[in-house]
Amino acid sequence: MTRAPMLGRFRYGYVAPAALLVAVLLYAPFLWTAYLSLTRYDGLSEPEWTGLANFAHLLDDPALLTSTRNTLLWVAGTMLLPVGLGLLVAVLSYDLRGGGWYRVPFMLPYALSGAGLAMVWSPVLSHDGVANTLLGVDTAFLQEAPVNTLAMLLVWTWQQLGVNTLLFVVGLQSIPKEPIEAARLDGASGWRLFRHVIWPLMRPLTAVVVGLALVASLKTFDIVWVMTQGGPGRNSETLAVTMYKETFVASDYGYGSAVAVLLTVVTGLASYLYLRRQVR
Amino acid sequence: MIRSRMATFGVLALLLAACGGNGAATQQKKTELTLYNDKGAWTKFFDEMGALSKQRIGLGMKPTGYTDSAQYQAFIKASFRTDVKPDLFTWQTGGMLEEIVKQRQVAETTAVWQEAIKAGDLSPDLMPYYTIGGKQYCVPMNVAYWGMFYNKKIFDEHGLRPPATWEDLVKAAATLKKAGVTPFYHTSVLFSFVWFEQLMAGMDPDLYDRLATGKAKYTDPGVVQVMEKWKELIDAGYFMNPGDKTDPGDVMKTGKAAMVSFGTWFNTSMTQRDLKAGSDYGFFVIPNVNPALPKTSVIFESGPLCSLAKAADPEASAKYLKWWTTAEAQEKWATTRGDVSANPKVTIADEALGQITKDAGSGRYRLVNRYFEATPPPILTAALDGFGTFVTEPGTYKEVLETIQKEADEYWSTHQ
Repeated sequence: MTRAPMLGRFRYGYVAPAALLVAVLLYAPFLWTAYLSLTRYDGLSEPEWTGLANFAHLLDDPALLTSTRNTLLWVAGTMLLPVGLGLLVAVLSYDLRGGGWYRVPFMLPYALSGAGLAMVWSPVLSHDGVANTLLGVDTAFLQEAPVNTLAMLLVWTWQQLGVNTLLFVVGLQSIPKEPIEAARLDGASGWRLFRHVIWPLMRPLTAVVVGLALVASLKTFDIVWVMTQGGPGRNSETLAVTMYKETFVASDYGYGSAVAVLLTVVTGLASYLYLRRQVR
Repeated sequence: MIRSRMATFGVLALLLAACGGNGAATQQKKTELTLYNDKGAWTKFFDEMGALSKQRIGLGMKPTGYTDSAQYQAFIKASFRTDVKPDLFTWQTGGMLEEIVKQRQVAETTAVWQEAIKAGDLSPDLMPYYTIGGKQYCVPMNVAYWGMFYNKKIFDEHGLRPPATWEDLVKAAATLKKAGVTPFYHTSVLFSFVWFEQLMAGMDPDLYDRLATGKAKYTDPGVVQVMEKWKELIDAGYFMNPGDKTDPGDVMKTGKAAMVSFGTWFNTSMTQRDLKAGSDYGFFVIPNVNPALPKTSVIFESGPLCSLAKAADPEASAKYLKWWTTAEAQEKWATTRGDVSANPKVTIADEALGQITKDAGSGRYRLVNRYFEATPPPILTAALDGFGTFVTEPGTYKEVLETIQKEADEYWSTHQ
């Protein structure tokens, strides 16, 4: 096959604008952040090279331990609630007559942005809010750890459940009917049918849903920032909130960048390991 | 091949030219200045000042108000490195001002200060807050004295009067608590330091000053006692829930708590809610915890209005700052917000605020620099987080003090 002569001559020219945009907007900031993570920098004076000092500090910083614990709680909670419940709602409703209508209410909160969601739920979960009144309790939902992280996870579930359900329904609808019918003829039903036939057939879509949820939960920021600002103290911080606070509140751009690099490596590694296992 | 590379370079050159903009910035003559600030709620008042300045000195002013101080500070710092520069901006005195002055970003205002002091528009007492290396930078955007705002109707209902001693204040709190009214406002976010500085100033102001300069430790017995006193008040149930996000202005208006301790600028929140001084609310100076102290300690703050050394039109910025200090400008700035002024010539409409300004000027009080300005930024960040933890879990006070001291040790090891 011969190459189109014009394309051959100008091929770099065609690619250059897009490549430049990617380089300027994605690669350059990442490299700059990676460089800053090896410096002491207050955002004003010139960055001062400190080698791996920021990364060494990561190891003995109690605040980082708290935010790592909270981030892991977000990851586990997200898998269990928005993803797990999403799958359950999808499986229970997709065969039902009028199942679509049943799923609509779950979808509606998805229209809210993360910040909007947090603004709406903050007063509900506050000390004298609706949640305490309705439940007849006196719980500091947004103050005590880990209750505050769990409360925010429930809010997150309220929003994310619908979209996960929708994706799983699409998955269920797209799997071929024949193997299911064959399994039914062989006497499989209920949990056994799901576990041994439906679940394996849905695997490609589950990989995507879980992969997206994994990344989203690792970088949880907006909902926490608006609802608790990572507090009281630092007890509800996630890695992304620690990154923001160290950089922009404490003006420790070097250490904030080190947290950013850590978060990038953890997210990249988790996604890689997960997808490598799933997409074989 | 050569043509292909030339085409690539051509595209790159065009893109770079488009991105580069006007490299050699030419000095402009401005008729309207931008004023960036972290007081988004005050936009209306800044707008009124802009209209007045346009009329008086031919220089308009347009405010851009942020409500998140971290975002605001990051923007201002970033602007030092870009062409998007504010003509005027608000900042903080103390370590934060020193930090940006050392980077040679702030325009000197020594001449403005000298003229203003000569004309009686600024008090020399304020000068130290604006002096770095013997020169002045910025002018006072506002000054504030801290005290206690109280809901007058609740006080009247329970037969209470502004307390003259610390014991009276605690008795008033006990009376209110007994009647089912929460005595004091409390928060775990940003203003978590308020009761710490107030108790420090009222128990041992010298220790407070030493703490601010690294000559004392957060783990010293005097500081521990302050935390224990604070805990005692929390344990007695005198504070509202620190996680409550109700705006403190609304807390006062609705009587959710009977007393809110803030700077005189909080009067602006009262003005915005149509509350009347004397009938709806009042203000008193918080008595010292330690009655043996020679003078009542009053927390003082002054927020600067600055211009950049590399401003687009330095002359216009300087002209604006000079006008800002005049009695004409300050009269408007103070009266529209119902606040006190840095200009001694300005008459304060509010009786209680007028009195504290007069008393402070006559040396009746020991003025103590607000914790926010007195504490170096890295220690402040750790302390705000620490006090946020403490107000939620008062039993943690010793760990909190140790955590803050760890940050202080690190800071003072390189900054003494």
